[in-house]
Amino acid sequence: MLVETAGLTKVFGEVRAVDDLSVAIPEGAIGLVGPNGAGKTTFLRLLLGLLKPTAGRGRVLGHDIFDGIPIREQVGYMPEHDCLLPEMTGIGLVAYMGRVSGLDRNTAMSRAHDVLQFVGVEEERYRKIAEYSTGMKQKIKLAQAMVHDPKLYIFDEPTTGLDPRGRREMLDLLRLIARSGERNLILSSHLLPDVETICKHVVILDGGHQIAAGELQRLLSGAGDRLRIDIRGNYGDFARHLTDAGFEIEATPRGLKSPRRPGLEAEVFRAARASGAEVRYLGSEIRSLEELFLEILDRERAGGR
Amino acid sequence: MSISLPTYKLRETPLLGRRQRVLAIVSTGLRREFRRPAAIFAIGVGSVITTVTSIVLLLLAPLLLPGQRLDLSFFFLPVSSPTILFFVTLMASVVGAGLISDDLDSMAISLYLSRPISHGDYVLAKAAILGTLVATIAILPLMITAIVAGLLGLFPWDVVLPAIGVSIAVGILLTAFYTTITLFLSSMTRRKAYAAAGVFAITFGLTVPVEVLASQGSIGNPVLLYLSPWDNFLAVARVAFGAAPAPIDWSASLGILLLIMVLAGLVTNARMRSMEVVAG
Amino acid sequence: MSGVVEAREISKWYGEVLGLNAFTVSFGKGITGLVGPNGAGKSTLFKLLIGQLHVDQGDLRVLEEDPWNNVSLKRKLGYCPESNQLYGWLTGEEFVEALLRLEGISARDAAKAATAALKTVGLVEARHRRLRTYSRGMRQRAKLAQALAHEPDLLILDEPLSGADPVARVHILDTITDFSREGGHVLMSTHVLYEVERVTNNIVLIHNGKAIASGDIHAIRALIDEHPHAVRIATSAPRAVAEALTGLDHVVSMEFPSPQELLVRTRRPEAFYRELPGIIVDRSLEVHGLESPDDSLEAVFRYLVG
Repeated sequence: MLVETAGLTKVFGEVRAVDDLSVAIPEGAIGLVGPNGAGKTTFLRLLLGLLKPTAGRGRVLGHDIFDGIPIREQVGYMPEHDCLLPEMTGIGLVAYMGRVSGLDRNTAMSRAHDVLQFVGVEEERYRKIAEYSTGMKQKIKLAQAMVHDPKLYIFDEPTTGLDPRGRREMLDLLRLIARSGERNLILSSHLLPDVETICKHVVILDGGHQIAAGELQRLLSGAGDRLRIDIRGNYGDFARHLTDAGFEIEATPRGLKSPRRPGLEAEVFRAARASGAEVRYLGSEIRSLEELFLEILDRERAGGR
Repeated sequence: MSISLPTYKLRETPLLGRRQRVLAIVSTGLRREFRRPAAIFAIGVGSVITTVTSIVLLLLAPLLLPGQRLDLSFFFLPVSSPTILFFVTLMASVVGAGLISDDLDSMAISLYLSRPISHGDYVLAKAAILGTLVATIAILPLMITAIVAGLLGLFPWDVVLPAIGVSIAVGILLTAFYTTITLFLSSMTRRKAYAAAGVFAITFGLTVPVEVLASQGSIGNPVLLYLSPWDNFLAVARVAFGAAPAPIDWSASLGILLLIMVLAGLVTNARMRSMEVVAG
Repeated sequence: MSGVVEAREISKWYGEVLGLNAFTVSFGKGITGLVGPNGAGKSTLFKLLIGQLHVDQGDLRVLEEDPWNNVSLKRKLGYCPESNQLYGWLTGEEFVEALLRLEGISARDAAKAATAALKTVGLVEARHRRLRTYSRGMRQRAKLAQALAHEPDLLILDEPLSGADPVARVHILDTITDFSREGGHVLMSTHVLYEVERVTNNIVLIHNGKAIASGDIHAIRALIDEHPHAVRIATSAPRAVAEALTGLDHVVSMEFPSPQELLVRTRRPEAFYRELPGIIVDRSLEVHGLESPDDSLEAVFRYLVG
């Protein structure tokens, strides 16, 4: 197990930031999601050993979270917020952080250069960080998390502030790390599509509890899979053709959904031809992680706690 | 972006221990300071002026201070020089004020504390950086003065050697005090200007008014001198060098200084522990 | 002159640094997404729209008026800046009210309008809490509330969803959609392209100070000739389907990525989609899936900007 906790609790005054949290997170690429105030931040701080729990226990990579130092030797953390030293150079900062993690001077320097190459920082590494663009700063943040080659990466909102190209590059890098096999990562993000493309497993927190967890594919392929049809053109006639043929439909912003039954797909095209509509999408009612998340959240909160 | 590099093989070498990690912070920190013009000025000018004035005092002592005995107690004079107080304050505020507050301002503290070091390691490393630099003013000139005195034959070696020892001891007390206080102030704020101002306030805001008030012309009560760190320090130094005692009790002075240092250290540590490394 | 914003050959320079360069576009009805790489000119454009900067060259009209130094126009605009620095010691309610008072609205009306706006964005329970206790998502909503409170005609939003958690994001997008449905116009810039796609198909793509594309995402996509439109068809008989489609002259290529899939690239997607149902029905082809993997804003962005 990557992370195991039993009854983990952290209380700040009146606020139970993490409340009797018991999770078992397997190795691999894990998404950590939850609304604001769900306890994600506190949970990560507890895992890094930077906070002592009020109650309960936890283990990360086999080490007890009570002593954070052995854990942090094997963890690379990429914070969400600005945290770089502006007057250092890119290479200087990354090598320095390598040394503070325990690498000797030569290894730190050599690894720093390798890592900067990997993330795509070329000659800029010799310039001061104060002159860097947002995208480059994010890359440095990633590099300093990688330099000591940790077993577990923790990424906190890694695509914040990046333009679409930067975001794509960052996600490509994270995906490479995730797929490399021997490395684990925990991705905490509000951008659920990012989590979807990178993580195999997801943990959903709310109010300090875990309200859902599991393999992403399993969670998303929910029961009662319906067929989703996006069309352009004469919606009214198209829909009528389908209902006339005996199929139930439910309207969506771009078309409609219908429970899968034999002959449905063929009828869709017949209806399209007859009504002159164009079929633009035909496939599973692929629920996105975002929809799933909001649904689970609603259910939990309505269930009254 | 280069993805031609094969993804990493896990590192095989074991990590160095905490001591080396702390030393890495110290050495990088010192190297950074020695590149900053303001710091170079403070260190260079400060240590040179302090050393030179002490040595000049040494050479001119027989002329300027006819009544002064040429024994250990003489070496109290360079220690009590206002140049030491001034340059120690300058060094602490120029270099020390930003040591922790800069990391708070840039939030680089998150990077440090996400590393396998403890809050205590971090503070210790910063203290080592500042302490080393303050010592170039609080300890080094006095040591050099004493050695010069011995080499020039102005004082017998059986006076000079204890003088060196006591200078170092007393210098350590002053260094430790200013290091602790400055780091405490630096950890309290994101703006190093405030911390620097705080250091100046402690030195001049306390020392000068208190000395004026305590003197005969004003309130005249020597108990007030306990409020001034410099006067507390002098009281201890006087006893250490066997010079004429101060109007205040040296053991109380020492106690006050140590108490302040311990409190400042504890608060600094507590403050670091409460730092938000992972933001909401 | 039909757009909410009409820009003709706008140029704005900061010394040598490019802001906008002969920027020409007409847009703004309903919800429009403004996308572009960092440094493309989005902030410059916003500052020009709200009258903070003056164009060096060219003609800019917002709601048919020149925005520079135009106080009466500002009353019709609601601006939500990117910055998250708010007056932490004010409560949510005080914040919105204070900004309303700056518009010249009386205290009593301001209080009413503020409460209404906070209710719209879903902050009514938190309105007595100080802004510094607000999460990122709540701050975004507070900024949106102050932009809405004086009932503007045009909302200009700079990264309104940045840092917001999914729940807050739903609130914000719903608020924007409702506002548009009631007749308001919205200009929204964001880096997260799928967020834009969720609320609108109208975009303006800015790059190097120019508008390189504007209009419907899918129409733009269809125009990008160098990248013929890809359509993935899931079928148990891909070769049969391929055979049926070879007759179409706008089909550029066909591949078989897997035994159950056919990937068609066509130069004229409109024609393709129009003709496809007929072909499938006439030949009784068994098709159980259809999707267009690169008909998205993400793809448009990638093809046009890189």
